[in-house]
Amino acid sequence: MRISPKFTQALAVLVLGSATLLTVLVLLFVVAFVLIKGLPGVTWDFLSSAPKEMGKEGGILPTLVGTVLLPLLAISIAMPLGVGTAIYLTEYTRETRMTRALRFGTDCLAGIPSIIFGLFGFIFFVVMLKMGWCLLSGALTLSIMVLPTIIRTSEEAIRAVPNAYREVSFSLGATRWETVMKVILPNALPGIVTGMILGVGRSIGETAAVIFTAGSSLRMPMTVFDSVRTMSVHFYILAREGISNEKAYATAAVLIISVLLINLVAYTMMHRFISKRSK
Amino acid sequence: MSDAPTIKIALKSFKFFQDHKPLLNGITLDVVANRILGVIGPAGSGKTTFLRSLNRLNDLLLDAHVEGQALLDGQDIYDPACDVVALRKRVGMLFALPVALPMSIYENIVYGPRLSGIRKRERLDQIVEQSLKAAFLWDEVKDRLQMSGLRLSGGQQQRLCLARVLAMEELEVILLDEPCSGLDPISTAKIEEALTVLKQKYTIILVTNNTKQAARVADDTAFFLLGDLIEYGKTEKIFTVPDDQRTNDYVTGRFG
Repeated sequence: MRISPKFTQALAVLVLGSATLLTVLVLLFVVAFVLIKGLPGVTWDFLSSAPKEMGKEGGILPTLVGTVLLPLLAISIAMPLGVGTAIYLTEYTRETRMTRALRFGTDCLAGIPSIIFGLFGFIFFVVMLKMGWCLLSGALTLSIMVLPTIIRTSEEAIRAVPNAYREVSFSLGATRWETVMKVILPNALPGIVTGMILGVGRSIGETAAVIFTAGSSLRMPMTVFDSVRTMSVHFYILAREGISNEKAYATAAVLIISVLLINLVAYTMMHRFISKRSK
Repeated sequence: MSDAPTIKIALKSFKFFQDHKPLLNGITLDVVANRILGVIGPAGSGKTTFLRSLNRLNDLLLDAHVEGQALLDGQDIYDPACDVVALRKRVGMLFALPVALPMSIYENIVYGPRLSGIRKRERLDQIVEQSLKAAFLWDEVKDRLQMSGLRLSGGQQQRLCLARVLAMEELEVILLDEPCSGLDPISTAKIEEALTVLKQKYTIILVTNNTKQAARVADDTAFFLLGDLIEYGKTEKIFTVPDDQRTNDYVTGRFG
């Protein structure tokens, strides 16, 4: 017997709808759980003072600074490299075995566990280059870690720019580089920003690679050669070593809110840019 | 009128290959300055390939190469010493589908001039006005030059594209690749009107699938078939007493 299309349609709506609902609920539950447990501990004093007794008392100011500086530095290193590579791969080379191998390589790199990058960063930057546990070692390691994501998302975004735009630009006497700067990058920007946000998200949430390379000092970092502790690492240490559950949740709440804020700011800036161009 | 006509573009057994497959089999043809050359022929006859060879936009294709010569004012444009960027500023192109770049009308038009290093605001304003007027679009958009070009209708976008080509100061030749294929009769009439005025200043090559359009605006007509130039001559002759039977069949609508 043939099942009626009406029935399968209704079934599809039900199944897909439930999947969506479940996903959203799980997400909301996680966020709500952390916020409810953590928000009561988030006070101005908590945000603006240094931790005491390994974080059992006091605030999280140095880790807040670390959480801002480390991903910022990592992304500042990874973006030019990643976007540059993506432009080169899409605009300046033709599809060959070489580029395919390169793409396969980046895809593999994207799937490697972060602790491997941490180990590499520890051996290469911290030990071999004698940089020690510091902001710069951590940022360099994180930038290598997020590079594949940035390359792939930028590449997809650049590829999605209509070929007709390139032809028009060339036919008006633009060089390849002028075409990249004036037509391709502005139009690929939303996708590139998405890649950047993914990269920021990964670096903010990273613990394993950070502990190995940036250390976990609770002092306020003054130069890029100082060790830092990010909020993720702070949370990990507080919870794992049973120092203070209350402070751990408060840190997690601040972390979640920071990530939300970063995404919000990035998307607003992007939309302002887009609407300015298509008024 | 007694002067011998100036030859703007001369092809000498020009061949174009992609993946070692010939798309143009030895075209020899002179394009006379300040006239409109209509290029007609059924799909797959090499009309667009021919057009794109003239501003070297075919360079973007993979595994393509050319043989023979393509001379612009006596200079071979496929000479390794030829500056492709400078060539494309002299030989502008209008595509079958109007493509406004996703920026304002104003920015679309000054795209070429800015690349040529024109920075002065008054000069750019002047170029915008002149080229929009020449493309018969000025009256429709003069109050909203900062609006995105994407918000114009198809016919307006095609005239915007024409204005954008005309904005290039180095321009000498205009290539049009079925510029009216997606346009309504009124927009088509405006483009055709613009072309008949523009030929006083430029040399125009118009590829069209609409033989009537060639008959209306072209001074000379070339008939392409499967990569060969079958016949080339004054438009009246091609459309009334062509030498070749295939040309006759095509212009009278018996095939193609």
